[in-house]
Amino acid sequence: MRARRRRSRFVWDAIGVLLFAVLSFPVYWMVASAFKPQEELDGLTPTWFPMHPTLSHFSDAIHRPFFWHGVKNSLIVVSVTVALSMVLAFLAAVALAKFRFTGRKAFIILIIGIQMLPQAGLIIPLYVVLARYHQVNALSGVILTYMTFVLPFSVWMLRGFLLGIPKELEEAAMVDGSTRIGSFVRILLPLVAPGLVATSIFAFITTWNEYIFARILLNDQSKQTATVWLSYFTGTSRNTDWGGLMAGSTLIAIPVVVFFLIVQRKIAFGLTAGAVRG
Amino acid sequence: MTSSEIPGGTAFAAEAALQPRRRRSFTVARVVRGAAPYLLILPVVVTIAAILGYPLYHLARLSFQKYGLFELIARHGTNVGWANYSSVLHDQVFWHVLIRTIVFTVANVALTMGIGTLIALLLTKVSSVVRVLLTAGLVLAWAMPPVVAVQVWLWMTNYENGVLNYALTTLHVGDYYQHDWYATPFSQLSLTTTLIVWGAIPFIVVTVYAGLSQVPPELVEAAEIDGARPWRVFKDLTVPIVKPIFLVLTSLSIIWDFGVFTQPFLLIDQTRINASNELMGIYLFEEGYLKTDFGRGAAISILMLLIVAVLSVFYVRKMVRMGDEAG
Amino acid sequence: MKARFFFAAALAAALAVAASTASAKPTGSKHALASKITVWLQVDAQSGWPNLVAAANQQFQAKHPGATVDVQYQTWGDHLSKFDATLAGGNTPDVIEMGNTEMTKYMAAGAFANLSSQKGSFPNSKNWLKGLAASGNYNGRTYGVPYYAGSRVVTYRTDLFRKARAKVPTSLGQFTATAKRLKKQNPKRGFSPVYIAGTDWYFAMSFVYDYGGQIAQRKGGKWVGRLESKKARAGLAAYKRFFNAASRASKTGTENRPQPYDVYARGQAASIIGPAWFSCCVGKKYTKATKQFVMPSHAKGKAMPGFLGGSDLAVPAGSNDKSLATDWIRIFTSTASQRGLQAKGNIPNATNLLGNSVNERAAKRSWFVPTAKNWVNVENGNVLRTMLARILTGRASIAEATAWADDNIALTLNQ
Repeated sequence: MRARRRRSRFVWDAIGVLLFAVLSFPVYWMVASAFKPQEELDGLTPTWFPMHPTLSHFSDAIHRPFFWHGVKNSLIVVSVTVALSMVLAFLAAVALAKFRFTGRKAFIILIIGIQMLPQAGLIIPLYVVLARYHQVNALSGVILTYMTFVLPFSVWMLRGFLLGIPKELEEAAMVDGSTRIGSFVRILLPLVAPGLVATSIFAFITTWNEYIFARILLNDQSKQTATVWLSYFTGTSRNTDWGGLMAGSTLIAIPVVVFFLIVQRKIAFGLTAGAVRG
Repeated sequence: MTSSEIPGGTAFAAEAALQPRRRRSFTVARVVRGAAPYLLILPVVVTIAAILGYPLYHLARLSFQKYGLFELIARHGTNVGWANYSSVLHDQVFWHVLIRTIVFTVANVALTMGIGTLIALLLTKVSSVVRVLLTAGLVLAWAMPPVVAVQVWLWMTNYENGVLNYALTTLHVGDYYQHDWYATPFSQLSLTTTLIVWGAIPFIVVTVYAGLSQVPPELVEAAEIDGARPWRVFKDLTVPIVKPIFLVLTSLSIIWDFGVFTQPFLLIDQTRINASNELMGIYLFEEGYLKTDFGRGAAISILMLLIVAVLSVFYVRKMVRMGDEAG
Repeated sequence: MKARFFFAAALAAALAVAASTASAKPTGSKHALASKITVWLQVDAQSGWPNLVAAANQQFQAKHPGATVDVQYQTWGDHLSKFDATLAGGNTPDVIEMGNTEMTKYMAAGAFANLSSQKGSFPNSKNWLKGLAASGNYNGRTYGVPYYAGSRVVTYRTDLFRKARAKVPTSLGQFTATAKRLKKQNPKRGFSPVYIAGTDWYFAMSFVYDYGGQIAQRKGGKWVGRLESKKARAGLAAYKRFFNAASRASKTGTENRPQPYDVYARGQAASIIGPAWFSCCVGKKYTKATKQFVMPSHAKGKAMPGFLGGSDLAVPAGSNDKSLATDWIRIFTSTASQRGLQAKGNIPNATNLLGNSVNERAAKRSWFVPTAKNWVNVENGNVLRTMLARILTGRASIAEATAWADDNIALTLNQ
């Protein structure tokens, strides 16, 4: 029995490693290219591994104007958006999942309807609204915009997670049958923690990589986010600095990975023993 | 009450029967708590209404106006009734694009949900080292901005010195020397699919796995001790917990893949886009923005909204009904 | 309880962030005491000649004490979307750099201020390059000031040409013969004596104009496509012959993917056609063995008309500081500034400033797209590209393909 389990685990592991190689190949290609000197990048035959790795592209990228501004602005915008959105979305999701009230259907339609809107159609009217409240060229305007797009799917996802909690767990966790919102929320929170983490990762990545609205809403290069900063590598009518673009992209991806490493413990991706934990 | 939500299985029936009656009434009492739910949803409603209220109204109104560059500068459009809608619906290209986009969406969603779920299940089976490795790879793929991913894809499928052509030729799969991967619409859209599915899988994996995390191991053990087979455990225990998440992910995937713009636009490139490879998101951009006909663009946006609502109604309805039963 | 507190704290934090990061005063033209002008230039200036911009700003501020200039750099891909957004929001920049093919649409829509009365006050305005000045004119009024231009030249490998005992060709026929010889000497698969992307319409249309044809014409108040004319078709036939003899690029490919200079840098091309600045990026290996010459016409001794690209500077009609804006343009397009641009390999905006570089010689015979407000839609609809792809792949005869193109062009331009 033991040997059989070990053999099957070996097979699963092999598949897992193969998948890892295939799925992360493009990422590997990006990072490897960032280290390749220009001649290798231009060469006729692609090289699998940087033969003469160089850090020049990285230093070029960092020394490009407004790199640190871009990172700083992105961090501010994304962390505020994600933090606020998770709080608000969780509360709304609790209402949707646990309560029955008039207007519930309307709220659901609002949540889903907004996600079905092609964002491209909203750019100009949104700009006009924000301009009226002096939120153009301001990080707060971008934060508000991002929140309006992050909130609907966050509510929708968290509601899904909340509905998935077996009633027994909920009720078993209620020690004194308290019915106040506060304790209610406090009890649900740990049960839905994995869902909250997954949603926050998604919110983080989506807002971190968002480009269109950040580009249109932020004029001063000192206020622009990291993705807009990245777009300047390909924006000229002259040649693209591929090495710089790959290096810049690699650098920009780091905060996302860091964020994930911090929150992933709640979903037991880590080295905790056992298959799945509650 | 919600017998459909309680996983059938002897262990649970036994446990449920042991709970005092008092706890059962907890959820029913919710109905009486009037103000609570409204307070909970208020911040979300206010934020969305404040920012999107006027743009949505403006979008709807715009769809009934003639609003080109001239009107944009004059800040005033002229009313044309249903002319925009009629012009779009009479455009043959619109219908071809619609069918193409539906096929594209079905393919992408099926691949994303299928592969994503399988990988999530795989994660439960592998050793912890491989789990960390695979997850790290997924997150790195997820973290790549679509714009950069497109550049990497372009580079790998380069006509001149792309690694894909090089690998296929060296491995003697065929002669792919300077094979142009962007010559036919099918090839263009297939490459776009690989890019989108690759970028979307991590989200599905992480979310489904998070859902699987909610399955309490104690109940799994109890069921196994009772002699339930793995398939039974899966069906009665795992599926009900993961089902709402699955429905959410599918509905979201349909919505996103239907309106996708960035990846196909950048991958195929504006200079190769024409009526034979346009997708809805690109059609909207070309007709509304490139031609600076915002009225028509607004009409197309509203039509897209209606169409995607119809496409996802099955999943959305199921999700809503699930919540109803839980209430 | 804890949740409520957390929620309140988060909201307070958000408001604090909003208060601190919101711009102190409204952007753009809403305020009365406007002593700041906003200038939108493309990133080419930021990376290519930032010193010229700085010099202009200094001069401007010396002349107008108390006034400040805010230069914001834009990328070609989305600067028009951004401009549209500012037009809708009422806070346009005071000066904007526009590509010369982008001007007509916006001029027709009334986006820019009429500068006709001040035309004489701009440096060298009497000698503005005809092609560039035309792009800033609409209905007899001047809306754009020529900024700089660029034409197309042939960038070639002197070592390979020497090996083929070829001199700089003075006619299309000579060039074709040279190409054939180069192909014999460099039989490696995929090597192009002259790398031309099949649907590079900027280059293909040069043949049309060389044979005396044109893309479209305005007849009796309506636009008519003219690619079906005998002369235009002769030009396209010549293009097809030249392409087949000289280029191994994809027949349906575009000139931006891959970039011709990348192909050149990999040793896969003996020459490439494109803007003069291509010489920057031919790779370390071939920089020493690279020179340029003007693309020859089918008529011996003449140059083939080249597409004149370039930028204009315009003042949006909604600007509150038109006089300051026009003065900034005046300073930025001064003779000294133009000399600076010329030193960076660009073509200056006036004929009296023209030097003898290959780039500038090529500009002496040029062509430009029809000045119709819907021309951009023809470009974006890829009409010419589709026509060229059909011709080169043989899927349609030249007669059929041009007929289709003309119908499309007329339909779009007259909308």
